[in-house]
Amino acid sequence: MSEAPRRPSVVPLLWYDKPRAAIDWLQKAFGFEATMIVAGDDDSVIHSDLTLGDGAIYVVGPSDMGQGGATPAQVGGRNTQSVCVNLTEGIDAHCERARAAGAKIGREPADQPYGDRVYTCLDLEGHSWAFAQPARVLTPEEMAAATGRHIETKGAGNG
Amino acid sequence: MADPTFTPAVFYKNPVAALKWLEQAFGFEVVTLITDAEGNLAHSQMAFQGGAVQVGGEWEGPIVGPARMRSPQTVEGVNTQFIRVHLAEGIDAHCDRARAAGASIVAEPEDQFYGSRVYRALDPEGHVWNFDQPVRAFDPDEMHAKMGLKVSSLAEVTS
Repeated sequence: MSEAPRRPSVVPLLWYDKPRAAIDWLQKAFGFEATMIVAGDDDSVIHSDLTLGDGAIYVVGPSDMGQGGATPAQVGGRNTQSVCVNLTEGIDAHCERARAAGAKIGREPADQPYGDRVYTCLDLEGHSWAFAQPARVLTPEEMAAATGRHIETKGAGNG
Repeated sequence: MADPTFTPAVFYKNPVAALKWLEQAFGFEVVTLITDAEGNLAHSQMAFQGGAVQVGGEWEGPIVGPARMRSPQTVEGVNTQFIRVHLAEGIDAHCDRARAAGASIVAEPEDQFYGSRVYRALDPEGHVWNFDQPVRAFDPDEMHAKMGLKVSSLAEVTS
């Protein structure tokens, strides 16, 4: 059995047309760390691990619609998934770092009625990202009152 | 327990059906369900062995700029991201459960050179889910021998 540290159980895998450039950019813009790259021919990346805190994403490419993977830029900006990133601190500085690297900021950092401070952006190939940081802790009842939504929860996070 | 650092948000034409299907097929558990005054799904989160996914409908808007969140069914069956799920045990039974619920198994469970047993399933709207389970330690030398690939750091990449 592997001695490697246990991975998060759910990990998003993102397709890029230029995965090497993307890995570079994701480190510079978002502060991720490339801890493993399995390089293929030319500029291809067969597998890579990018980590932040105890989390990980995988970056691969070039995207090949024949294999069922496409970068959003190849499909008119459509995204079949986006990535939500939970930060523990420094979200405003994180947004400025991303903007300086060329991220297109959609929603500027702002406190949301459900208790998180959130900003959203598109990366260099059009993948959509949301960054969130707890601003204050609300009970589900307070959250429902603040948002006008009906909220059901059970045993969150221990499934 | 805190939310995982990275949480994929997965988009469906029929997110309510998707929530039910993901429970039945993969054993995910709905932990947060937020609906508006008309009972429409606004936000949801599912948990699975410490990981999380959000399930939502198709949407677009100013906060994501030119991006459009779409089911693979609306993107000619291609995906801009896949989802990797790391299981501790029971991968063959997990695959059987998914198949019984109607998952399209596009790669049957099989041991891979990198030390994991892997299967790949498509859900009813065509999202790609890769499940894996460690079966033996990863051996970089074996990968080099079999694939001609090596594990690199970014500093070693020449082109």
